[in-house]
Amino acid sequence: MSFLAQSVRQVLRQTTQRLTTTATRALSLSPALLQQNKLAPSGIDISAIAKEHQKECQAICDKINQQIGKSEQGRLFAVVHLCGKQFKVTPGDIILVEGYWPPTTGDEISLDKVMLAGARDFTLIGRPILEAGQVTVKATIIEKTLQHTKTHFKKKRRKQYMRINFQRSPNTMIRINSIEVNRPLNSSAEAETQPSKRLF
Amino acid sequence: MSNSHLFLKSGFPRAPLQNGLGRYVCQLQRLTLKFCKNNGSSKGMRDFIENHLVDFAKENPGIVVYVKPRRHRTPVLVGEYLNGEREWMSCRNNTQEEITKWIDLLKTQNGNSSSLRLRKMWHTDVPSIQGPWTPFLLRSPDAQNQSYPSEQASKPLDVPQSATEKLLELFKQQQLEGGQELLTKKRAE
Repeated sequence: MSFLAQSVRQVLRQTTQRLTTTATRALSLSPALLQQNKLAPSGIDISAIAKEHQKECQAICDKINQQIGKSEQGRLFAVVHLCGKQFKVTPGDIILVEGYWPPTTGDEISLDKVMLAGARDFTLIGRPILEAGQVTVKATIIEKTLQHTKTHFKKKRRKQYMRINFQRSPNTMIRINSIEVNRPLNSSAEAETQPSKRLF
Repeated sequence: MSNSHLFLKSGFPRAPLQNGLGRYVCQLQRLTLKFCKNNGSSKGMRDFIENHLVDFAKENPGIVVYVKPRRHRTPVLVGEYLNGEREWMSCRNNTQEEITKWIDLLKTQNGNSSSLRLRKMWHTDVPSIQGPWTPFLLRSPDAQNQSYPSEQASKPLDVPQSATEKLLELFKQQQLEGGQELLTKKRAE
């Protein structure tokens, strides 16, 4: 697919180049210089390449959909964005959020900012996050506690200055319960999506 | 300065008894409030017991609450957890709000957290699903059959055209064009 894209890009580049050469020919002293990599084939159809590309994408999506439909995909994993950090999670994982975070123990939440989801044979990559509702990551809060005590000790020599502070910040432990792909993938829909209007 | 952190145990995040996989189970089992009936240092504790303790016990039927008055001693909170750990906490001169907060902390934690320094913020039983990365991942198997030293593999992937080469090329082209011009001239003649 990448080589297809490359060829399309090449075609585009070469057409533009040709245009510029024709435009500047009158002015330039040595037209041969500009024409040195003149493109040979002008009969490449861009729309055909795009169509082929689309077909290939659809084939990949169909394969993934088939796998998910038969639930043969095995264990899923996801990269979620949570409280300014990214975690790679799979069902049964434990992650910790540092600092103040309102949810309390026993709360069941779903982590919405899924940046990437994957299984053994495929990976869905978000730009930067996957479409809302494409993949659900469910989690339970299992512990809210305080960190071990950190000592902040400052001293300046010969200046009669000494400070000692003790600090314990809150920690939240989260258990990932499940990761699921909700709806079948659609290559055309993916191509059409506009950037989401949500602000993060 | 305190050096206690030097001898602090360190570890990795773990949850007792697969907590949260099916449902969440509160790990605090027993809570003991010890206080004095007339000493000023127990004032906050007495306020808490008068105003909020019954509500707390009703909200948390899984936690057994013991109240133990004792004469002329500081107020104390003791929590006992499902894993057998016991956390003792002095509440001398604490206000009612502070005691509410500390009890909430005892309720939401899984054991004594102050005794462990965490080395990671993540725990997993399945570290890799697509397999660990190797240099041969998604590479052509041709590299396996390559015999070394090989001329092809030792060259850089992209050798840019040098200025000399470019000049030579230009010169050749000009010569060719010159030849063509001569030809056209001759033909015209």
